This record gives sequence, C-alpha cells and structure tokens, in this order.
Amino acid sequence: MPHIGSRMLDRELKKGSAELLILSLVEDQPRHGYDIGALIERRSKGTLKFNVASLYPLLYRLEKRGWIQGRWVEKPGQRRRRYYRLTASGKKVLAAQRNSWREFVEAIRQITGIEHA
Amino acid sequence: MPDWREEIKTRLAQLSIEPAHESEIVEELAQHLDDVYQSAMAQGLSEHEARQIALQQLADANSLPNELKRVQKPFREAPVPGGTGRTNLLPDFMQDLRYAIRLQRKNPGFTIVALIALALGIGANTAIFSVVNTVLLRPLPYKDPERLVMVWEDASKVGYPRDTPAAANFVDWRDQSTVFEGMAAIADESFNLTGAGDPERLEGRRVSANLFPLLGVDPQLGRTFTPAEDQPGSNRVVLMSYALWQRRFGGDNSIIGKPLNLNGETYTVVGVMPARFQFPSSDDDLWVPIAFTAEEAANRNRHYLQVVGRLKPSAGLEQAQTEMTTIAARLQQQYPQSNADLGAAVTSLHEHLVGDIKPALLILLGAVGLVLLIACANVANLLLARAAVRQKEIAVRVALGARRWRLIRQFLTESVLLSTLGGIVGLGIAYGGLILLKAFIPENISQAREISMDLKVLGFTFLVSVLTGLIFGLAPALQAARFNQTETLKEGGRDSATGSSGKRIRGLLVMSEVAVSLVLLIGAGLLINSFLRLRNLDPGFRADNLLTMKVVLPEPKYEEFERRTQFYNDLVQRIEGLAGVKSAAVTTNLPLYRQGNSIGISIEGRPAPPPGQENIVVTRIVSPKYFDTMSIPFLSGRQLTDHDINTSPRVVVISETMARRYWPNEDPVGKRIGAGRIQRPEDWIQVIGVVKDVRQFELTAEPRPQMYLSYRQAGFFEPRDLVVKTDVDPTSLAATVRKAVWEIDKDQPVSNIKTMEEILLDSIARQRFSMLLLAIFAAVALVLAAVGIYGVMSYSVAQRTHEIGIRMALGAQTGAVLKLAVSYGLKLVIAGIAIGLIAAFALTRVMSTLLFGVTATDPMTFTLISLLLVCVAALASYIPARRATKVNPIIALRYE
Repeated sequence: MPHIGSRMLDRELKKGSAELLILSLVEDQPRHGYDIGALIERRSKGTLKFNVASLYPLLYRLEKRGWIQGRWVEKPGQRRRRYYRLTASGKKVLAAQRNSWREFVEAIRQITGIEHA
Repeated sequence: MPDWREEIKTRLAQLSIEPAHESEIVEELAQHLDDVYQSAMAQGLSEHEARQIALQQLADANSLPNELKRVQKPFREAPVPGGTGRTNLLPDFMQDLRYAIRLQRKNPGFTIVALIALALGIGANTAIFSVVNTVLLRPLPYKDPERLVMVWEDASKVGYPRDTPAAANFVDWRDQSTVFEGMAAIADESFNLTGAGDPERLEGRRVSANLFPLLGVDPQLGRTFTPAEDQPGSNRVVLMSYALWQRRFGGDNSIIGKPLNLNGETYTVVGVMPARFQFPSSDDDLWVPIAFTAEEAANRNRHYLQVVGRLKPSAGLEQAQTEMTTIAARLQQQYPQSNADLGAAVTSLHEHLVGDIKPALLILLGAVGLVLLIACANVANLLLARAAVRQKEIAVRVALGARRWRLIRQFLTESVLLSTLGGIVGLGIAYGGLILLKAFIPENISQAREISMDLKVLGFTFLVSVLTGLIFGLAPALQAARFNQTETLKEGGRDSATGSSGKRIRGLLVMSEVAVSLVLLIGAGLLINSFLRLRNLDPGFRADNLLTMKVVLPEPKYEEFERRTQFYNDLVQRIEGLAGVKSAAVTTNLPLYRQGNSIGISIEGRPAPPPGQENIVVTRIVSPKYFDTMSIPFLSGRQLTDHDINTSPRVVVISETMARRYWPNEDPVGKRIGAGRIQRPEDWIQVIGVVKDVRQFELTAEPRPQMYLSYRQAGFFEPRDLVVKTDVDPTSLAATVRKAVWEIDKDQPVSNIKTMEEILLDSIARQRFSMLLLAIFAAVALVLAAVGIYGVMSYSVAQRTHEIGIRMALGAQTGAVLKLAVSYGLKLVIAGIAIGLIAAFALTRVMSTLLFGVTATDPMTFTLISLLLVCVAALASYIPARRATKVNPIIALRYE
C-alpha cells in the first residue's frame, strides 16, 4: 500500500493492523520491544513506523488482555531485556484476526481493483 | 550514552504508577532509546543528531502518558518472580507450594514443633468429631428414622415424667391414635438358653410383631414375625441377633426352622437379624412376639413397656403430642383408679437414644475446638518469629515488584501446607485416639460400637486443617506484608516483627492462649471435682470384696414358690461353705443396675391415698444375710432371719428415708404396712427394722423410700442377683461359685459375673468418660500454653540480650534482671487469666448438667486452677529469664 493519502486514514489503519502485526511477529519466537519495532519498520520498508510512545502502551495492552506475555530475560554479558511471547489465547486471537484481515483486504481489492499491497 | 531515564520519568510523572512498575517501564523504554541511539550512531550521525532521533521516539510530551492511560490500569499485577495477573493463579500457587516445601525441609526443627502442636489439635478434633458424627449426626440405621418416636406415660405427679406404659394404655393409644403409621410395644425379657453346650443367660425382648416393618429393618436370614404369631399360644417363635448366631451357632444357615430351648420351652427360630441391628440396646440377643394375654392387655397397673411409634409423613412431633395428650385425658376420665394424673409424652427416638450423652459430647467438641485455637496461637507465634528472620527475603521480593496480596498468598500457602501436614498426622493421632476412646465410652450409648471415621470425618478434618492454616497464617502474613522496605534493606535495620506491633501481636497471642487454657482447665477442674465427689459419695453399702452374678430361675421349671425357695436356700448355704467366702445373699435387684421394682403400699390405720398419689416404695426381695453381705448399716430393730418363713408373721425392713417419710417423729418398728390392697388380716406386714438408705438406681439420685422383704415370705418378685462377700480377691472365686450353682442345677445359667466395684464404676461411666477426656484436653492445652509462653519469653529475652548486657555491665543485680524479664511474662499471663476467668464464668454454665455437687462457678476450682496456671506460666517465663542473667555482659554488648 504505497501512498495512502490522508493522515487520518493512516492512523486508523495503523491502529487496526497494529495488533495483528505484533501478534504475528511474536508468533514464532519471543522478541523484545526494539526488535518488534525495528522488524515492523524494516519489513514494511519504512511505511509503518511505531515510536516508543505508541509501541509500548500497545504491548502492555496486549499483555493485559493475556494475548502476549512479557518476561525479563538475562543473557550472559547483556543487560536484561523484556521478551514478549504469544500466549495460548493470543494464538487464537491471531488466527481470528488473520482471517478477518484477509477477508477485509479481499473486499477492498474487489471494490478498488488494487492488486497486491 | 545519554541517560534517558529522567526524560521518560517526567512523562510518567502525571500517571500514578506503582514505583516498582514505573521503574520497569523506564528501564524497558530507556533500552529501546539506547538501541535507537546506537543504530543512529552506527549510521554515522553525530551524537547530537542521534540523540534527537532517539528523543523523537517519545514524541510530544503527552503522547506516552495518554497512550499508557489507555492501557486500562497499566500493570496492576506486576511481572514479579512468579508471574502476573489472575490468569497465573495456579502456576503461582504451584510455585508457592514448591517454595513452601523447600522452606519446611530447611527448618526441620521448626516444622516438627509446629506439626506436633497442629497434629494434637486437629487429631483431637477429628477423634471427637468421629464420635459426634456417629452418635449424634449419623441417621439411625432405620428407614426414615426422623419419623420414629418413643411414647411414654407422663407420671410427673409421682416423679416419673417419662414412665414405661402399661399394656392396656398402650393398646388404647394404638387403637385410638391417628397420627401414627404404627405403634409397637417392647418388654424386657431374659432367657435361659439350654440344650446344646453350657446353659446360657441371654437378654432379649418381647416385641410387637409389627416392630421390624415399623423400623424398616429386614432380617439377614429368614423372616420376622407375622401378625398371627403375635397371639398367645402361637408365639413360640424367635429371632436371634447376628452376634448370637455367629457365637453359638457358627453362622449356620440351616438354623432357620430349628428348635431352641428357652426358659424350658421350645421355640422355633424364624430369622437372624443383621449385625448392625441393635434395638433397643446392644446386648439384646433374642426377640419373641409379645403376644399379650387378655389379662395382660387389660392391665393398667404394671408399667413395663417401651413404646415406639412411626409418625405418618404428614404428622409432626407436636401434632403427635397434642393427640396423645387428648387420648391420655380421655383415659383419665375413663379409668380414674389407674390413670389419674397420667399423661402421655412423645419424644423423638433419636433424642431418646442420644439425649443423655449429647451435652457431654457437644462440650467435648467445644473443648477440642479450644485446644486447636491454642495450637493455632502457638504456631502463629512460631511463624511470627520466623517472619522476623525472613524480613530480608520479603524486602527483596518487594523490591522485585511483589505486591502485598501476592506476599500474603505466599505466606498463607506456607501455613496451609503446614496445617494440612498437621491434619494428616492428626488423622493418625485420631485413629489411635479412637481406639482408646472406644475403651472408655459407656457401652450403653447408642451406636457406640459403630464409631469410625468416614468420608464426612475426612472432609471435616480437611476443612479444619485448611481453616486452621488460614487462621494461624493470617497474622504473620499481614505482618509480613506491612513492613518497612527501606528500613529492612539497610544493614542492621530493626525488623518490624520485633518492633512494637510484632510484640503486641505476640503478647495478644499469649494472652489468648492463657485465657483459653484457663477456660478448659476450669471446665476439667469442675468435672474432676464432680467425679471425686461422686466417687466419695456413700452409696449406702460397701462395694469392696463383693462378687455378683445373675442367677435367674426359668419360670416353668421353678414355677412353685417352694421349689424356688429351696433353690435359694441351697444356693446360699452351699456358697457360704466355700473357702474364701464370708457370706452370701440373693436379691431381686442389686443397686446401681438401673432397674428394679416398686410397689404402692398402704399403712395400717391410715386412709388409702387417692389415685395418682400412691405411696410408691422401692422394693427388694432378699435373703436374710443381704445386709451383712452388702455391709448396709442397721439403725434400729432386728434383721431378717432364717426363721421368718411363709408360715410365720410377715415382716419387713425399711430404709431411713421411708421411716422419716411415713412415720416422722415416730418409731416405725412395730408399725404395719400392706403391699398393695389388703385382702386378709394376715396380709399385713410388720416393720421390724430400719437400715441406712442405699442409692438403688443411680449414684446421683437422692434415695427414695425403700423396703426389704424375705424371699421366704414374699413371692411376688423372684430374686435374680447373687452377691458374695469374700475374704480374697472376689474375681478369683468366680469359677468356683459358678460351679456351685451347677452342682445344684446343671442347666441353670449364670451370667453378668462382675464385682460390685465394677458395677459402681459402670454406673458413673458417663461422668468418667467426660471427665477423662476433658482432663486430657485441658492437660494438652496447659502444655501447649506453657510452650507458647516459653517460646515468646525466650524470643523476647533473646531480643533484649543487648539491653540486659548493658544493665548487667552497669551493675544490675541478677534478681533485678530476673524481675524485669519475668514481670513482662507475668503481666501477659495475669491479663490472660483475667479474660479467661470472665469467659469461664460465662461458659461453664453450659456444663452445669454434667456437674455433681459443685456449682458451675465453684470459687475453689476457679481459684486453684488460676493459681496452677500462674505457677506454670511463671516457670515458663523464669527459665528463659534465668538464661538471660547468665549472659556475659561483654558478649552481649558485642552481640549486634
């Protein structure tokens, strides 16, 4: 999705997709906050950026809901970092969100004729 | 690298986040900014540019706090070691449990002391609850037992509010009442079983044929009685108990239809009752149909039945009482001679069977509850002391973000683990205790033989264990959760459990322990006092060196008066000739067997008393040497002799109460009385002597008027008890005496061989039971309280070692230091005793029915027990205090 115009649409889309993005990223392995933020930015080639002020509150909210769980992990020679992993209930939410997102994208495509994002 | 913390903190400042959690958020976010900064530097930007890029991450001043606010109540449950929110309850619990187990293993001494206290407390509760459960709570083993009732004659006017009904009254009740599905009568009967093997004396009952269907009990083998068998002439059928069937007939299935020789007549066995069946009492072995004769069914003067009824489902106890009162009133009108002032009383069967023991059991249950409370206080004290040692650990946990509730949970897990272990050990103690308890429980208590631990008991124990853990764990847990973190983390900081609040809790615990123990000790003291009075009570005879046994002559064989008299003559003579025998006698009923006969008398020259106000006199038919044999003191006149025979003038010996009652201020010797109505002049009986009162029915009841007639003159009751005064240990003569009986009649059964001492003890078995148990519990309470006081004093002295050292270094005398230490302990104890005295004053009233000869607030008992407790407490304070004075001042000062 290159060039979506208005800032408002941008914010709403980000908000709607952010949960899905984070849950997807911690699905395979636990990641710390910086890692998650950097991956989103890199994989979206800079289109999607989360700053600290929005990323961490979001992580805390997901954790609060019990979808992910954060844990301080210490590795030799490093500072301890907080790693987030997907919980069992998070797995179910992720599957559900993936489905509805797929249907949503398909619907948009049907109407707008936009091919691959 | 720049420090972002201040920057982040200012943004979080407007939110009220717990400090511990705030520091975590700051740490996490700062790391992120570090990473951003480093990555910018790596791309070749200047320090200033990199710093700007990193700070952009925080956006404007309000973004972060606004976003965080949206995370509703951010981080209520902190990610402390052990997890987070509610979803982690189970893993948290498992972790706490593992930790608790490790902790107990590390302190075996502490664990063992705590376990002993808890196991004693819980074990005692389990044992007593098992008894309460079996005797009071478990439904009687009959169909719909709550609808079974007993119906009595209410003869309150002559002192018998629950009297056994006469047959004619029973028949009228049965025929006229509408509230009952059925009503059955039961009469005592004993049987001489002869034929195969030794002749045997067996207890049994004559019962209405409908008794078994009425109770809803089926036989184990065969059948019960048919209505046709409940008729005179066709009633030679018998049911036997499981115990008799096993013991005498080896559980032989072919017993049904076999003949049985009972009292010289042949009965046919129709059934065997199940092992659990015991009705009305556990020593009944035979049941035969009651089959009233026409004469018996019309008799309103012989009161000997027990009547059980089953209420219709629609009827209640009150309704039954109302109807029975109406019927009784009608019978009063109809039969003024026999039924004047005679009412009817309905009581539940359960009440009838357990009513006597209920108050004692409930008091014991309350008592063990108090013992457990003391144990709780003890363990709470131990835990408080340990919590003081664990302040550092708690501080670290809090620093890592443990919330207060989480800490409390952890402490409670530890205490519940401890109490559950205590419960398991307690079950073992209860099991052993029950074996002991069954040896002491009076045998005539309903279901006493059935006492056991069942699922309900296990559930009770589990519940009590968990509750116990929560109770004694709460104080230390709250204490731990309310301490000052920074103070503790400082090296050498004073921990709060030794501070004023810890000291206060500990003091309170000791005070309550003392108060509760005092209540228990006073209760036990009152019962012991009662029991001693009972034991020292003069029963009117001397129980030592007396051997007794039942020798009941079967009626058909000994129907003629002369033949019976001859037997007793031979018996007494033969036994008196035995070596070691001083004298022998027979009587209709020995004292304290809770049974016997009474008759209404008339007095020469006085009008016959109106119906309902007869002169009822306890009557015993004895052989002349009875008074010598029983050592019943003679007051005036002469004794019965061998010359008072049925051809000579009839004579009677009366008791002092009878003399006082009927001839106040007169010499009764020479006066004449009649047993019942006088038909002929020779029916008059002359009073020839007066003896001291004997407690005939029970030790605690005031003696009623009594009289003694010779078996050679009075044939209306037959002697059944033989009593032998010996020079030697009476039990050593049992076999010899029995052999002497068989030499006269080889088919004559001998049963209930007991010493008079045993009968005396049996008669106060209930009092002994409650007294012994309460004394044991009070002793446990005293030991626990002493240990508790000792523990607290040791701890407080240890805390004050430094202070004591300074005092001693400054020249304080040993005595002064001792006084200082002991006075603290004594202050607590005296406060506890004051509270305990007030509580005991209020509580001991509930046991007034168990007391004899002392009031529930007996000042002597209260004073002595308080003094005892002060002495024990003083000793428990003195020992640690004494140790304190042995402290070397130099070491004490170095002690920090």
